[in-house]
Amino acid sequence: MTEISLTINGAPVTASVEPRTSLADFVRDSQRLTGTHLGCEHGVCGACTLEIDGEPMRSCITYAVSCDGASVTTIEGFDDDEVMEDLRQAFTENHGLQCGYCTPGMLVTARDIVRRLPEADEKRVRLELSGNLCRCTGYVGIVRAILAVLEKRRG
Amino acid sequence: MSDTGIGASVLRKEDRRFLAGRGNYVADIAAAGEVALAFVRSPVAHGRIRSIVKPEGAENRVFTADDLDGVEPMRAPSKLPGYKPADFPALAIDKVRFVGETVVACAGATRAEAEDLAQAVEVDYEELAPAVDMLEARKPGAPLVHDAWGDNIALATRTDGDMDSVRARAAHSVTREFRMSRQAMVPMEGRAVLAEWNPRMDQLIVHTATQVPHLIRAGLATFLGLEQRQVRVIAPDVGGGFGLKTYVQPEELVACWYAMKFGRPARWISDRREHLIADANCREHHYIVTAHADEEGKILGLEGEVTVDAGAYSIYPFTNCLEAAMAGGNLPGPYAIEAYGVKTWTVVTNKPPLVPYRGVARPGVAFAMEMLVDAVARTVGREPHEVRMINMVPASAMPYTNIAKKTFDSGDHAGAVAKAVQMIDIEAVRERQARGEPDGRLIGLGFGSYVEQAAHGTSVFASWGVQMVPGYEQAGAKLTPDGGLELRVGVQSHGQGMETTLAQVASEILGIDPENVSVIHGDTGLTPYSTGTYASRSIVMAGGAVSRACKVLVERMQTIGAHLLQCERDEVRVADGRVMGPSGDLPFSEIGRVWYMNPEELPADVDTDGIEAVVGYRPEPDHGTFSYSTHAAVVAVDTDTGAVEVLDYVVVEDCGTMVNPMVVSGQVYGGAAQGIGTALFEESPFDELGQPLASTFADYHLPGAAEVPAFRLAHMVTPSPHTEHGIKGMGEGSTIPTPAVIGNAVNDALRRYGAEVNETPISPRRVLAAISAARGEAA
Amino acid sequence: MKPARFDYARAGDIADAIRLLGSTDGFNKPLGGGMSLGPMMNLRLAQPDLVVEVRGLDALKTVSDEGDRLVVGAGVTHAAIEDGKVPDTTNGMMRSVAGQIAYRAVRNRGTIGGSIAHADPAADWPTALRALGAEVAIDGPGGARVVPLSEFQLAAFTVALEPADIVTALHVPKLSPGARWGYYKICRKPGEFADSIGTVVHDPDRGYTGVVLGATDGAPLDVPALAEAVRAGKDVEIDDAKAALAAQGATFDDYGNQIHAVALSRAIKGAFAS
Repeated sequence: MTEISLTINGAPVTASVEPRTSLADFVRDSQRLTGTHLGCEHGVCGACTLEIDGEPMRSCITYAVSCDGASVTTIEGFDDDEVMEDLRQAFTENHGLQCGYCTPGMLVTARDIVRRLPEADEKRVRLELSGNLCRCTGYVGIVRAILAVLEKRRG
Repeated sequence: MSDTGIGASVLRKEDRRFLAGRGNYVADIAAAGEVALAFVRSPVAHGRIRSIVKPEGAENRVFTADDLDGVEPMRAPSKLPGYKPADFPALAIDKVRFVGETVVACAGATRAEAEDLAQAVEVDYEELAPAVDMLEARKPGAPLVHDAWGDNIALATRTDGDMDSVRARAAHSVTREFRMSRQAMVPMEGRAVLAEWNPRMDQLIVHTATQVPHLIRAGLATFLGLEQRQVRVIAPDVGGGFGLKTYVQPEELVACWYAMKFGRPARWISDRREHLIADANCREHHYIVTAHADEEGKILGLEGEVTVDAGAYSIYPFTNCLEAAMAGGNLPGPYAIEAYGVKTWTVVTNKPPLVPYRGVARPGVAFAMEMLVDAVARTVGREPHEVRMINMVPASAMPYTNIAKKTFDSGDHAGAVAKAVQMIDIEAVRERQARGEPDGRLIGLGFGSYVEQAAHGTSVFASWGVQMVPGYEQAGAKLTPDGGLELRVGVQSHGQGMETTLAQVASEILGIDPENVSVIHGDTGLTPYSTGTYASRSIVMAGGAVSRACKVLVERMQTIGAHLLQCERDEVRVADGRVMGPSGDLPFSEIGRVWYMNPEELPADVDTDGIEAVVGYRPEPDHGTFSYSTHAAVVAVDTDTGAVEVLDYVVVEDCGTMVNPMVVSGQVYGGAAQGIGTALFEESPFDELGQPLASTFADYHLPGAAEVPAFRLAHMVTPSPHTEHGIKGMGEGSTIPTPAVIGNAVNDALRRYGAEVNETPISPRRVLAAISAARGEAA
Repeated sequence: MKPARFDYARAGDIADAIRLLGSTDGFNKPLGGGMSLGPMMNLRLAQPDLVVEVRGLDALKTVSDEGDRLVVGAGVTHAAIEDGKVPDTTNGMMRSVAGQIAYRAVRNRGTIGGSIAHADPAADWPTALRALGAEVAIDGPGGARVVPLSEFQLAAFTVALEPADIVTALHVPKLSPGARWGYYKICRKPGEFADSIGTVVHDPDRGYTGVVLGATDGAPLDVPALAEAVRAGKDVEIDDAKAALAAQGATFDDYGNQIHAVALSRAIKGAFAS
């Protein structure tokens, strides 16, 4: 077991973890933040995407021990985030989710797109979504939602 | 139309929790003292188990078939004559029959520890020759998957038609061979189960990711030797199903057995590799089809041979022969054909079992039939959409009973084709095609049409011989003391938005705001019996039942309301969430107050069953609803790399009355995207030893946002004459034609080479091979 | 899909990492971003005894201009290169290649050194950096050294690292202003591992031309005949690329022969378009 101290959703956390415990399992099982989902556990599907030190990353192939000193934000930690609020509203208005399983990772990626690529067009949005798989929506509502938020923020 | 009732695009109530990351899937539930299970799975496709050595000291955490006292192999009975059941054991008994089959179960404090144990178990196998390819497996002398059978044919059927007369009259007989490859269903949430024994309830409580909680309960009780009252199945939030989550799984039985045996909760959460290797697969059909057509392309007769690779075992409850039965019944599609003959074979092989996936058989059927129609069109030199239109059942002929004895209830099939032709702008596409692309890619245009029988009723399922025949769908509706509404349904919503759409149906009848309606589903302890969510049935059946139940509440409220409003009962109506009389009106909460809190104010003639009703519903006739659609696509084919890009995709569909057009559109988009997966990307291939070659997402490609086009969609609305509100089932539909649409478009692009790709997925490898083969023939 | 048990240590600096990696006889692995090692460990395809965390070591994150070459620390992420946080000394090539690796969430953590050490044939850096003529800096019990990639890349997933060695940096020759490059990747979907990668770097001012084929079943493959053709200013059609590969004994199945030739031809054409 290895002792780690990190910040999760703004709160300090100190815990003893097995080195093999992924960050995803750590936030889900130890912290009971179950909004981070596991969809493939090999870094492809994007369901586990959360933010580490402000950047979206894969929590399924990142070990909790590697996050000592890091600041982690899960989907539960964006409740006061203005961009996320817009995205959540746009996702529901554009029917950008059905079963909801990919949604947390999709939102974290969407937020990164909106902030990093304010001029992104549909083609770019689709490309940037390559690392987040959705099996329900055909991506139609997701792409529309992200474009709507980009549009809104461009004014 | 109200803005909250049927026809309104009400935003989904369930979205809030999912967007907040507060959904609640099986893996999110923790039980005190739980153990995690992992499985030792067969590394060989076919073999005899010589020995199993448990790690020393772990004997009470490692279990084989011998340990599973009281657990019966799963049997899915069918009444079809000649059917051979292929029992599916929870843990392999003596023999293993596919790579990934559960052989040994291991329990650990964590999943990782369970996997450590699994890694330490030693199993010795005597390898046997496997049956891998279904056409080889069908032949005499093939290795036998089930030794006692004598062959590998679970079921063979034959329907004869008067083919001689159409053959004699036909100007052209066009024959093609098609193959739809085996694939996985890949809901983003895999299968998951958490089982615990509750002594107070004398009940096994099973949280499981399923579409059909009541059927799972029946299966678990049967195979565990329990009474059904002793099993409660709860499907919480379920992350997509698509057909995968309709059968009792071996791992589920083991988890239940463990919970009962040791009195500790047991969980098994499938990982993606387990899904891709060991879960039931889907599709894998082979067709040889012939159309006998006249000079104009009018198809007089159709003959087919359909082979389905059903894998090693038959899944409970739907069996392994539903695919072939559906294929045989659906091949004629939306067309008026005089003569039809078909033979089908359900063949067992050393691969995972097959379970119906969204569209059930019909994507394979449409791949064969719709591409055959295009082959006919090429033969007679006409545009494929014209050949479709002259062969379709005309709107004026509805209702129409086709050659396969399906009665189409309503609709204008050729109208959908015409609309698709207009939307895709065929002239512009043909011009672009003739002009050529600057990058040298070839443009192709493809169409595909289908008719989708949905919400199949009692008579249809009974004819398929399966054990779980759906009857009257029940819904419970209960006015709460404060005037809210609780609906209870036995179906399960796992993306379809039924927490919203069923509330809309209630709103249509009661005028209540859907925000004040709770939809309780997916729990055998809280809901009336239902066979569950599959076959695009839920909004037709549960929606109809909710409507009927709410109508009963209206009557009951009228009686109480008339008394309170001091008027005659027939002067009272229920609308806008209020009970209205000639001189005043009451909120529902007043009715609730009186029934629950102040019964002294009730009238003498009150219905003593109160303001709660469970009502059964079934459309009459019950042969199902018939949605239909035509899709059209434009693709670009890179003939150097074999890559196919979908440039444009239009859908024209008619599913009758739409309860929520936004949700309908979402189902269409999602289904079409899955169809594109089948068409271009998804395949679970096996080598000649039966080893699966796609075990991770590095090998198994799902379509992403960059591969899926921005679908364009038009709705037509022909309400069903037979169902409550005219609703037709539609959830599966748009997966059905998509592989054929893309296939037809690719083959249209490749016409100049005389090349055809007749197998899914239409991978770069297959495109290049088809071009190469055509060039070889030309040379 | 959970990893087997392993021991874990966090290195304080490069010397510490080397010491830790050599501290036991077992199978010990340095962990950078973990974007390749993580999946393999989750699948239990890799079961190291000891994992030594080198992510976060400042010495691995430095980027320095050393005259004719840029030295990029092994721990620099793909995203940092994609975003232009590393000086562009390759006329945009490295930036373009970085942006095509996997997905943004992976690029945010995955490192250039990790990719080179992992040596997946279908990955981007092994082929792209080889075409640039890059060298790899290694430190280990035997001392620090700099090795050309052509000597470092031995086979698929196999490189010339001794036990307890770690990759510390990539030495990437700077391209002349007039140099041309082409990079053409054939894959089923953006972000997926490639079926083929064709790369060309043509820098006549430095007298350097490299043509490399990646995503075969071995190490990246130099294609000298095509480099010669590029130097001679010849067009390279698909059939030319096929012939060049065949002539050097590089043959694949029908599909491979075709797409590898297409990737090389298109990379070269792309380098000289516009």
